[in-house]
Amino acid sequence: MTKTMKFLLASCGTVALASAGSAETVRIGITQNNVGIDSYQTTYEQAFIAAADANPNVEVIVLDAGGDVARQISQMQDLIQQQVDAIIIWPTDGQALVPAVRNAFNAGIPVVVTNSNIAEAGMDFIAAFSGPNNIQQGIYSAEMMCDALGGEGQIVQITGMPGYTTAIERQQGFDERLAELCPGVTQLDIQPGDWNRERAQRTMETFLTRFDQIDGVYSGDDNMGVGALNAAIDAGRAEGMVFIGATNFAVGYDAMARGEYWGSVYQSPVDDAEAALQTALDVLAGEDVPKLNYFDTPKITQDNMDEFDRPVF
Amino acid sequence: MSMFSNNPALRWLMHNPIWGFVLLIFVFFSLSADHFFDARNLQNIVVQTSTIGLIALGMTLVMINGNIDLSVGATLALAAAFAVDVQSWAAFATWGNWQILPAVCLALLAGIAMGAINGFIVWKTGVDAFIVTLGAMLGIRGLVFVYTGEQSFYAANFAYSDFSMMSLGPFPVLAVIFVLAVIAVHWLLSRTVHGRNTYAVGGNREAAVNAGIRVGPHMMINFMLIGFLAALSGVLLSTQMGAATPNLGRDYELWVITAVVLGGTKLTGGKGDIIGTLGGVLAIGILRNGMNLMQVPAFYVYVILGSILIAVLFLDKRFNRTQNGGLRL
Amino acid sequence: MLIARLKAGGPTLAKQGILVAFILFMIVFSFMSDRFMTTGNVMSVFRQATIVGVMALGVTIVVIGGNLDLSVGSMLSFATVLVVDLHDKIGPELAVPVMVLATLCLGAVNGFLIGILRLNSLIVTLGMLSVIQGLVLIYSGGQNVDIANQSETWFRVFGRGAVMGIATPIILFVGLALFFHILMTTTAFGRRVHAVGGNPVASVFSGIPRSRIVFLTYLISALCVAVAAMILGSRVMGSQNNVGQGYELQVLAAVILGGTSLLGGSGSILRTVLGVLMLAFIQNGLILMGQPYYTQWLVTWAVIIIAVWLDVAAKRGRLLSPIA
Repeated sequence: MTKTMKFLLASCGTVALASAGSAETVRIGITQNNVGIDSYQTTYEQAFIAAADANPNVEVIVLDAGGDVARQISQMQDLIQQQVDAIIIWPTDGQALVPAVRNAFNAGIPVVVTNSNIAEAGMDFIAAFSGPNNIQQGIYSAEMMCDALGGEGQIVQITGMPGYTTAIERQQGFDERLAELCPGVTQLDIQPGDWNRERAQRTMETFLTRFDQIDGVYSGDDNMGVGALNAAIDAGRAEGMVFIGATNFAVGYDAMARGEYWGSVYQSPVDDAEAALQTALDVLAGEDVPKLNYFDTPKITQDNMDEFDRPVF
Repeated sequence: MSMFSNNPALRWLMHNPIWGFVLLIFVFFSLSADHFFDARNLQNIVVQTSTIGLIALGMTLVMINGNIDLSVGATLALAAAFAVDVQSWAAFATWGNWQILPAVCLALLAGIAMGAINGFIVWKTGVDAFIVTLGAMLGIRGLVFVYTGEQSFYAANFAYSDFSMMSLGPFPVLAVIFVLAVIAVHWLLSRTVHGRNTYAVGGNREAAVNAGIRVGPHMMINFMLIGFLAALSGVLLSTQMGAATPNLGRDYELWVITAVVLGGTKLTGGKGDIIGTLGGVLAIGILRNGMNLMQVPAFYVYVILGSILIAVLFLDKRFNRTQNGGLRL
Repeated sequence: MLIARLKAGGPTLAKQGILVAFILFMIVFSFMSDRFMTTGNVMSVFRQATIVGVMALGVTIVVIGGNLDLSVGSMLSFATVLVVDLHDKIGPELAVPVMVLATLCLGAVNGFLIGILRLNSLIVTLGMLSVIQGLVLIYSGGQNVDIANQSETWFRVFGRGAVMGIATPIILFVGLALFFHILMTTTAFGRRVHAVGGNPVASVFSGIPRSRIVFLTYLISALCVAVAAMILGSRVMGSQNNVGQGYELQVLAAVILGGTSLLGGSGSILRTVLGVLMLAFIQNGLILMGQPYYTQWLVTWAVIIIAVWLDVAAKRGRLLSPIA
C-alpha cells in the first residue's frame, strides 16, 4: 500500500509542478519482467520508483509482465496507447519483444531496454540498452572457476529457468569462456535450478549421488548457489568444493564471509534501475547516448569482498 | 421483480450475469482511467483478449461435453514454435512470403494432432479428461523443449510480424479473425447437429448413446477443435512477437477455464454457450487492461482477479438458485 | 490379455497396479544406473519427496471428499514465507504456531466457500491460488526472506534433523501418512468423507453433516501445507515468494497416480504415498541417467496415463473403455 500511496503522492506532486509551469514533466512507462520472483527484481522496482520520486520532472507508469511474454506485449500496446514520452522495457524474452519494440519505434516513442538485452534484430528500433552484460557475467564466473581450480577439475552447472534469456546468456558466456580458457576443467552435467533455492538444492543432491568427484559448482545466481552449498554441507562434501555464482545475493555474500562460498559477480539492482532511468532521461533530453550502456559488474570473491556493501537482496 | 421479467434486456442480463459485470467494469474504467475509452484502446482489448478467447471457444465445447483440457497452453507453444521455425526451413527458402503458408498449416495441424491424441486417449481408455490432459500438459511442454532445444525462434521475415499490425478498415486483422471464430463456433454450437450433440453428450451421456450418438468420436472431434483453436491462438500470438518462446502459454489453461466458467459454462457439462464465454474473456481482458491503465500494483492484481472470480461464482449461484450443489467436478 | 491375467491373479493384485508399476520402475532404473539403488540415494529421494508428499496426503482427503484443491501451491509459498520471516522477528517458538494458525485460516476460507456456500471447488481454489499469491507478495513486499542464524536454531530440526539416522522429514511424512491412513480407514470421519464424496445427495439423507465434513477436509489440507512449509523453510532456511509455484500440479499428479478418483468417494492414502514416491524416483532416476529435464515431463506424461488407465481398466474388467 505504501508504494501506491507514495506513488500517488509523487504523481500529485508532479502534476502540481507541471501545472505551475515551473518544469516540463516527462512520462516514462516501464514494463518489467517478473517482479516478486526474486529480490533482485523487487529491489530494482523500488529503486526505480525512488529514483523517479526524487526527480520532480518525472512521472512514471510502472507495470509488471509477470514473466508472460504476451502480457508484456499487451503492456507495450497499452503504453504506446497512452502516448508516454519514453518506454523502458525489461524483456521477458529478447527475441519475442522485437515487433512490440518496433511498434513503439514506429509510433515515435523511444525505447530503452534494461537489464537483459533485446535480440540483434531489434537493435535498430531501440534508443539504447542499459544494464549488465549477462554474457560477460558468465565469462567472469568461468574465469573465477578456472582460477579457483587451478585449471583442473570436474564441475557441475545449475542454470536458471530454462528458456529465458538471462539464464541462457549466463550459461553461454560461462560455457564458451571455460572451454577456451580452461580445457582441463570438464563439465559433468548441466541441469536447471529454476532460480529457486530448494530446486537447486534438490538438483545438487542428485549430482552428489551421481558423481563421486565434484570440484566446483557454477550457479546462475547465488540464491541457487547457496542451495547447492547447503546440499553439499548436508552430504559432508562441501570441504574444498568451489562455489561460484553469476550474481551476488546477500545469502551468497554471507556464505563468502564464512569462507564457504568462493565468489560471484556483483550486480546492484539500484545501479541497474537508476542507470535505466537516467538513460531514458538522457535520450529524452536529446543527448547523444551510446547504444550499449553496460554498467560495471565486477567479480567479487572472498579476497575483495570488503570493498563491496552487502547486497540488499 | 415483475419489472425485471417484463423487460427483455434485463431478463437477458439475468441469464447472462457476466455481461452485466462486463458493462459495469466497462463504465467504471471509462470514467476512471484516462485512456480507456478510446478507439485504439478498445481495439487493443479485443486483440489482447483474442489469445485467451480463441482457446476459450474450444474449451466451451469441451466443457459442455463434460470434459476439460489442461494441455492448451503447451499446445499453443508447440504451434507457435512450428509456425515460426518452419518458415526458415531450406525447403521453403525460395518461396518468399509464401513460406509462411506451409509454416502456419503445419502449426495448425500440430494443434489438431495434439487434440486428436488427447481425444483418442479419453475415448479409448476411459480415463478422465482432467487426468489425460494434465499428463499432456507436461508431455507436450516436453515436446516443445525437445523441438526448440530451449531456444526462442524468431521469424527473419518481418512480413510475418507485420501481419499482426494489419487492419481491415478500422478493425485490426487479429480482432477480425477472433470475431469470425466467435461467430463460427457460436453457429456450430447453436445451429448444427454437432452442437446439439455436444449438449446431449454432456447433459446425459446414456441418453445420448441411446439416441445413437457415437460419443467417443464426437468427443475426439471437440478435442481436435480445441487443439486447432489453441494452435491458431499460438500462431496469432507468434505473429505479434515475430518469435516463439518455449515457455509461451504457461498458466493459460487456468485463465481459459476461469473465463469459460465466468461465462456460465458448468464444469459438470451440458450447459453453457459462446455468448457467455465471450463475456467471460472480455471481463478478464477489460480488467487486466483497465488495471494496467490505472497502474494497480502487480501484487494487488493477483488478489483482485482471484477475488472477482470467486465473487462472480458466488453471485452466479445466487442468481441461478435452481442449480444443484455443483460440488462435484 | 494383461487385464485378464490381472483378474486371474485376484482382485487384490489388479487393484495394486500402481504397486506393480512402481516395482517395475525401480527394477528398470536399478539396471540403468548403479547409483540408483543405494541407501544414500533412496533416502535422499525419499527426503526430497516429503514436501510434495505431505501436501498430497491432505489433497487426497479433499479429493476423496469429492473436491479439488489447487490453492496448495501458493498456500505453501504463503506459509513458508511467513514462518521464515517470523522466525527472526518473534522466534521460532511463536513463528511456527502463528504460521500454522494463519494457514488454517486460509484453509477455513476454502472450506467455507466450498463446504458451506457449496461453490465449485476447482474455481474457488483457482481463485484462491491467485489471491494467496498476491497476499504473499504484499506481505513480503516481494523480497526473499532468510533466517540469519542457520546453524543454531532448533527450527532446523524439521528439514535437516534426523532421529536414529532417519531424516526428520521422512519421519513426519511417514507418521502423518499412517495417521491419515488410519483416520480414513477406521474412523467414522473417514467413512463420512468417503460417503460425501461418493454420493453427496445420499449422504445428506443419511444424516451426514456434508458441509462440516467438506470444511474439515480443507482444514486438513491446510494443516498438511503448514507441515510441508516447516520442512521446506527449515531445509532451505529461507524462502522466495513463488517457492510453491507449480506444486499444486505435482501434488495432484501424485494423487491421481495413486489411483484416487477425481469423482470422489474412493482413494487411498497409502497409494498416494506410492504415487509421490514414483514421481520422485522417476525424476531422480532420469537425472542419474544423464537425461535432460524435459525427458522427465515426457516420461511423466506416459506414466500418468498408463498407470491410471490400467487402474481404471482393472476396475471395469476390460482394457478399452465402453464409450462407443
